[in-house]
Amino acid sequence: MNSMVFGRYLPVDSFVHRLDPRLKIGALLALLITVFFDAGFLGYALIGLFVVVALILTKIPAKMVVQAVKPMLIMLLFLSVFNLIFLHTGKLVAKVGPLSIYSGAIFQTIYISIRLVLIVSLTTILTASTKPLDMTLGLEHLLSPLKVIKFPVHEVAMMISIALRFIPTLVEEAQRIMKAQASRGVDFNEGTFKEKVFAIVSLIIPLFISAFQKADDLANAMESRNYNPEARRTRYHQLHWRLADSFVLGLIVLLCGTIIVMSIVL
Amino acid sequence: MSITFKNVDFIYSPDTPFSYHALKGVDLDIPEGSFTALIGHTGSGKSTLIQHINALLLPSSGEVRVDDFIITATDKPSVLKPLRQKAGLVFQFPEYQLFEETIARDIMFGPVNFGMPEDEARAVAAKTLEMVGLNDTYMERSPFEISGGQKRRVAIAGILAMDPDILVLDEPTAGLDPQGAKEMLRLFKSLQKSGKTIIMVSHDMNQVLEYCDHVVVMNKGRIERNCSIDELFKEKDYLSSLSIDLPVITAFINDLNSQGFHLDHDIKDIETLVKAIGGELHE
Ligand SMILES: Nc1ncnc2c1ncn2[C@@H]1O[C@H](COP(=O)(O)OP(=O)(O)O)[C@@H](O)[C@H]1O
Ligand SMILES: [Mg+2]
Repeated sequence: MNSMVFGRYLPVDSFVHRLDPRLKIGALLALLITVFFDAGFLGYALIGLFVVVALILTKIPAKMVVQAVKPMLIMLLFLSVFNLIFLHTGKLVAKVGPLSIYSGAIFQTIYISIRLVLIVSLTTILTASTKPLDMTLGLEHLLSPLKVIKFPVHEVAMMISIALRFIPTLVEEAQRIMKAQASRGVDFNEGTFKEKVFAIVSLIIPLFISAFQKADDLANAMESRNYNPEARRTRYHQLHWRLADSFVLGLIVLLCGTIIVMSIVL
Repeated sequence: MSITFKNVDFIYSPDTPFSYHALKGVDLDIPEGSFTALIGHTGSGKSTLIQHINALLLPSSGEVRVDDFIITATDKPSVLKPLRQKAGLVFQFPEYQLFEETIARDIMFGPVNFGMPEDEARAVAAKTLEMVGLNDTYMERSPFEISGGQKRRVAIAGILAMDPDILVLDEPTAGLDPQGAKEMLRLFKSLQKSGKTIIMVSHDMNQVLEYCDHVVVMNKGRIERNCSIDELFKEKDYLSSLSIDLPVITAFINDLNSQGFHLDHDIKDIETLVKAIGGELHE
């Protein structure tokens, strides 16, 4: 668990780090949708080039990308095997015993792999370059039009930011409890089914108790400061839209537009 | 039950942008049967170091020897499971590890995991509960309905019940009332007298002076001192450079000596000090 890198903030200063979180969230959404438009290999090459440049600009080490993609490999393998066995479009390429492999299946598999790698890389760029609190602030801004239909934008943003804030705390807590129980002879890796159940119980119960305790403390702290979600509040931390943001926005509109047009025309 | 560290380095999350070099070239010998204090600033690597003693963390390089066990970077944790019974580790704020329905069952958890039959473990639980100062009316109560200090005692009993030869304690008295802290420390001292090796992380130099006989000082992941208590408290300047306060008694002796007294530095308790002062005044 120590080496979990997917979704973690990378504390460096870079061009992408300085971009407005509203832009980054919006761009991620637009790009994620665009990835599913099939504009052939040329389209993916375009997005791929964009992603590589963005990764370099975010100063994300190649190692970190590899580690983020690694957990997806099993899923990828699974999908590929299913595709190769069951998808029968295109030309027959090879026949291995009872198995016939078609060109359509091969292309489909390659497409899926490319899409997954792109999706993971794009998400990593957002999470690595945006502090959780900036992320919720950006989200709150983007959702604020929904206030018109009485959607509790502020409350939802607050909930998300608290949840994000506590993920690392809970992961740390879980590691601590696992170590404490391992010191009492619990083996989290091996053992019979019954032993495994016991091991999990010895982790889950203290973890829940501590999570509830923390939630309670936080609620008390907020109440004693008279927190009221409906109160009008100003912000210490303001978002600033800069020229670079407009430039990147233009670039992304151009990229997504091109690919969508390509996919329709082709 | 000797403990030896040979050129141990430890790196958290190696090969990621978040890696942190927490132990650097640690060489250490902890004498068998000693009561060793481990002191140093927050973040100096004390908790990291002690987790090597029962192989919760494996060294990134170098080796740790505990009795016949040799712990290196490539060991499988399951091979080292028997070590966890020999070296009992009490984490900081161990009350958070309680989870069973009754206190008795929680204390039995460790011994049963190491293969002790249930009825035997229950008898051991009753005995250790008494050692930590709770009577047997607590056996069938829930560990979640007692006070924080009592939870701490139950959690410590959970480790003691495994009857480890080495007892490692990470700030065991943090947050306890002075009376409760004293009782815990006396218990650890009596366990040392019965032949166990005790290693305790502490920030309270008065405790260190009164109960420990050996001390290891850590700073920024390195061992800077590994000596007897008397030797350490002679190094006034070094300790103040680490902003560690002298024990009250030692500071008082220093003050008196600077005013012309010739008191012995090694005095550890008030009674001896009072006698020594009385003796000098008579002369
Ligand atoms: N799980 C972890 N991952 C990364 N760094 C850690 C982890 N645990 C501790 N550290 C870092 O290692 C250093 C030493 O920590 P620790 O051994 O807990 O110090 P101490 O117990 O002396 O206060 C600290 O700087 C801490 O931030
Ligand atoms: Mg510590």
